[in-house]
Amino acid sequence: VSALLLLDLTVQGLIQGSMYALIAVGLTLAYGLLRVLHVAHAGLFTLGAYLAVLATNATGSFWVGLAVAGPLVGVVGMAVYRLVYEPILHRPPFVALIASIGLFICLEDAFRLVFGPYGISFAEPPISGSLRLGPITVQLAQAATVVAGVALLGVLAVVATRTRAGVAWRATVTDPQMARSFGIDTIRVRYLVFFVGSVLAAVAGALVAVLNNFVEPTMGSVPSYKMLAIIVLGGLGNLLGTLVASLALGVIEAFGTIYVGHLLDRDAIAFLFLVAVLMVRPHGFLGRA
Amino acid sequence: VLVTGVAGAVWLAAGAAPAAETVKIGFNAPLTGFAAADGKSALTGAQLAVEQANADGGIQGKKLELVVYDDEAKPEQGVPVAKKLIGQDGVKVAVSGSYSGPTRAAAQVFQDARIPYISAYAIHPDITRAGEYVFRTSFVGEVQGRAGAKLIGQTLGKKRVVMITLQNDFGQSLADGFKEAAPRFGLQIVNEYQYSIRDRQFGPLVSKVAADQPEAIYASGYFFTAGPLVKQLREKGITAVVIGQEGYDSDKFMEIAGPAAEGVIITTSLDRDSDVAETRSFITAFEKKAGFGADMVAASAHTAIKVAVAALRKAGPDSPKAIRDAIAATRDMPASTGAISFNELGEVMKAVQVQVVKGGKWRRHSVIDDPVLLAPPTK
Repeated sequence: VSALLLLDLTVQGLIQGSMYALIAVGLTLAYGLLRVLHVAHAGLFTLGAYLAVLATNATGSFWVGLAVAGPLVGVVGMAVYRLVYEPILHRPPFVALIASIGLFICLEDAFRLVFGPYGISFAEPPISGSLRLGPITVQLAQAATVVAGVALLGVLAVVATRTRAGVAWRATVTDPQMARSFGIDTIRVRYLVFFVGSVLAAVAGALVAVLNNFVEPTMGSVPSYKMLAIIVLGGLGNLLGTLVASLALGVIEAFGTIYVGHLLDRDAIAFLFLVAVLMVRPHGFLGRA
Repeated sequence: VLVTGVAGAVWLAAGAAPAAETVKIGFNAPLTGFAAADGKSALTGAQLAVEQANADGGIQGKKLELVVYDDEAKPEQGVPVAKKLIGQDGVKVAVSGSYSGPTRAAAQVFQDARIPYISAYAIHPDITRAGEYVFRTSFVGEVQGRAGAKLIGQTLGKKRVVMITLQNDFGQSLADGFKEAAPRFGLQIVNEYQYSIRDRQFGPLVSKVAADQPEAIYASGYFFTAGPLVKQLREKGITAVVIGQEGYDSDKFMEIAGPAAEGVIITTSLDRDSDVAETRSFITAFEKKAGFGADMVAASAHTAIKVAVAALRKAGPDSPKAIRDAIAATRDMPASTGAISFNELGEVMKAVQVQVVKGGKWRRHSVIDDPVLLAPPTK
């Protein structure tokens, strides 16, 4: 086993981890605010991928594709909150969870009916080719994933800590009633959270579409359960924890698929890791005990 | 279970036969779920075969009707779908346009009810072992795996091979056949990696393959896994020849992998450059009907229906036993996937077509016609 291979596998794991982080942040945000397990988030990820490919193929520009997919999916995310979750928020949490799973299944079938069962690809794949970083070769699209992950999550961190909207969001998470009494529009905070989370999922979907050059109706099925593992690992609702958990899971999977892949598949490795971590830290990496 | 199945079939046969104006052929395919693309191709191929048979006079003056059920490619759907086809619809012959999971489960139901059942492209060896009423018009995985070993070791003259194996019955049986035949062609298997059918991101695997520096990569999969895999292998700078199988066999593979698809070679059963009239006319007619290029799945479903139709014409539409005997007696029947004959287990005996991607299209590379190497299991 060469040091170079270990480095390469670690890099691949971190790339995968950045992707997981982009998807899982929206779920963590929704859970932190409303205690809703927003499984249908994975459907928005797929929707983002479809819209990005269709808009890119129609206009010839991936930037237009992103500009269409991001905001549109953000609005759909807000609509999901308004039409699905808001009416049942006063019910026990499993009601919203079941509604979310139902919505996710409907979305998958809707994608198949609307966009066809064969899946779609970019006519001219954007960001194709590769990049040599010293001895290691990565796909340009992988590099773009890491850049997008760092940039978007960085902006999110700045917004959360340095802006009025961020303060309003954190106040609402900590104590909604108190926040309201200080004049914060907590309903607007909810819309904002769903918008931001859904935009990130759409960007992740667009990037996965580029990496695979393939978008299919069931593209969200793996993220739909893996992101649950990630937010649990991260200590439900904890943003930094979600980031750490995403990267850790990416690296564990990278080594796992190579060295124990003949025994366990990628998902089994991920969930075994989840169980192992929870045995030592029942509230996740950074969760409060 | 067995008794009710048979009783249901008998009751329906007695009740429905006089009123029936069509001759029914049962058909199951994954029309929803992850395999919906293959299901759509299979269904279109089957419908084409039925339309052609009807244009050609039907069965003894009666029109053929395809009775279709969605099995979602789920094993647990195989039994209910088979029971509906037998009990509700009273079919006397049926075709599977689906994957091995549901086909294997359904095969036992058809065998117990003594209704002939033809697997179009499901490759699990146990399917035909259900009994003498079950047939298969495609290669079992092992046969295709052995052909892959010969292709790499003899035709291409490469020796250092890395295997990337899909973790399902398709990938597993291909790998078994490949490994069994590898020593005969002097192949050295450097490493074997496994992946799940849900995987589309192969970053770590691709890194490891790059470190292995093989001369050839034997990667099992379907176009929706192999397309992203081949793209990622090439973008990593790996130039070793990639050998696939009939699961790659769709124009979608080139659409996904793009320029990376060039030079990929597969073992399959549809020859795009065939000069056989049957194959040529299928390719043209399918493209006209479907609006996209023919693939292995469509050709296989078309072939299986054609075998059923020929048997119905020979034996008449009423006796499953006579239909079964007519299928078993099929000899060198021309079909889109080759000349069809069956061995005593109901396994097809035909040549393996080797296709290569050239200029973004599947083209003929070579043909492996080696009856000893390609002999299907007989029990």
